[in-house]
Amino acid sequence: MAEDLVLDTAIRDWVLIPLSVVMVLIGILRYFVSKLMLSSPSPDAKILKEGQVIIRARNLKAGANFIPLRSFRSRRLYFSNEENGLLHVPKGQGTNPQAQMFSDPNMAMDMMKKNLSMIIPQTLTFAWVNFFFSGFVAAKIPFPLTQRFRSMLQNGIDLSTVDVSYVSSRSWYFLNLFGLRGLFSLILGDENAIDDTQRMMQMGGLGFDASKNLGAEKDGLDMIQHDWALPRFEQRAESVLRKLVK
Amino acid sequence: MVTKTEERELNQLENQVENGGGGVWEYLCLVRKLKVRRSELVLKHGLFILNDSGKRSALGPDEWTLYEQVAIAAMDCQSLAVAQNCIKVLQKKFPESKRVGKLEALLLEAKGMWEEAEKAYSILLEDNPLDQVIHKRKVAMAKAQGKPSLAIEHLNKYLEVFMADHDAWRELAEIYVSLQMYKQAAFCYEELILSNPTLPLYHLAYAEVLYTIGGHENLIAARKYYASTIDLTGGKSTRALFGICLCGSAIAQLSRGRNKEDKDVAAPELQSLAASALEKEYKQKAPAKLSLLSSALRSMKL
Repeated sequence: MAEDLVLDTAIRDWVLIPLSVVMVLIGILRYFVSKLMLSSPSPDAKILKEGQVIIRARNLKAGANFIPLRSFRSRRLYFSNEENGLLHVPKGQGTNPQAQMFSDPNMAMDMMKKNLSMIIPQTLTFAWVNFFFSGFVAAKIPFPLTQRFRSMLQNGIDLSTVDVSYVSSRSWYFLNLFGLRGLFSLILGDENAIDDTQRMMQMGGLGFDASKNLGAEKDGLDMIQHDWALPRFEQRAESVLRKLVK
Repeated sequence: MVTKTEERELNQLENQVENGGGGVWEYLCLVRKLKVRRSELVLKHGLFILNDSGKRSALGPDEWTLYEQVAIAAMDCQSLAVAQNCIKVLQKKFPESKRVGKLEALLLEAKGMWEEAEKAYSILLEDNPLDQVIHKRKVAMAKAQGKPSLAIEHLNKYLEVFMADHDAWRELAEIYVSLQMYKQAAFCYEELILSNPTLPLYHLAYAEVLYTIGGHENLIAARKYYASTIDLTGGKSTRALFGICLCGSAIAQLSRGRNKEDKDVAAPELQSLAASALEKEYKQKAPAKLSLLSSALRSMKL
């Protein structure tokens, strides 16, 4: 049943474009509001030190073959010593990041602010779209779709015979939701091009799980076999010089 | 560290600016981004922009960053009056700012008023105990006052928290070398090599420290690190070439008494090759000194 519906150009002028414009403006507004509300994060000394320890342990892993065996061993011992090694996390005390997050009032406030700043505009915009722009076909998607998308894309349209390519404005809203990142990066500068999808991803990842990282680094270090690379360098230097001298 | 392209761009802009072309603001921004130390030029051109109120207002909000940059450059060139003026302007605009507080403490340091500067830094540290810049300023002050042991103490405390800061490790290594505490310096250079294993600078420095400590094992290790420097620089490091020759002769001297069971025969020709490479380089770059070199090399071949 592939009849071509002719859509009124008024739909384009009064639905699609205003909806996009509104979403862009809301994004910009959110960016400025978040800048205003930004509480300067006071770095926690313990977390900072752990982060640095991890970087140093990673460097040790990466460059292990460049330092003499004795130095490597003494450093490894320093890190993974059972009593007071830097990477050793005693079993009971592994900081539970979730608990820490909720007990630390600053972090809880920050998370709440981030979540709110995302949920409220989304909810409002969605309600606005539903209220004003429902009940008619808004656009036609250029490629054919299966029937399963009908419930998602054609929400206000109660005719089951209309081709699934004709979608309601709700789907245009979702399209904008996921697609405006490129536009934001142009307007706001490349670093601020976070749109809603990324924010949602940020909501998922809860926190820097330091204790697991430390344990992982310790295991990684324990596994390394030291293979001093320097003797090989001597031979390579020989060949380099030979070529140079010729 | 500054990459080659950035360095080239910087030099290009510098030439342009010095010869009267435009591009002063880009140059200043680049200097700020790369954190290079070009205080005289920054002072001259920055002041030129700041004194011209038309250009100053054209900068908009970046004006204050420029004030900060010029203030620091002025302190580096010891034009303390200029620095004082800049800081006064900044103080008027941002009265309770920590950043301006840092500049004030820096000015006290530049004037040589060590106790006041110390006090100012402690107050700043109370508010923000994890500020890297302030810790480093304390180390610099200790060094400037000629108290290297105090500087070492501060640096060690700093590195306990910020152990991934390779600039700090480098500074510590240099202080140790100046105090002839070579074993500790070797430790620091090892840290540096771990953080950046392919940087020949660190290999060279480590090799020199090992050579200075002396002893059979260390000399063998030093030779290996000189070799790795040669490999990483493609044979261009004259110091490393000399290092190999010296190591070879030192090892030969040490092992004259012992039996050569464990002689390092991984690269037997390395020494002679290094000598010939040295001669070649001297022929190209300093032919007048070639005879000195040849006689020195001959005396080393024990």
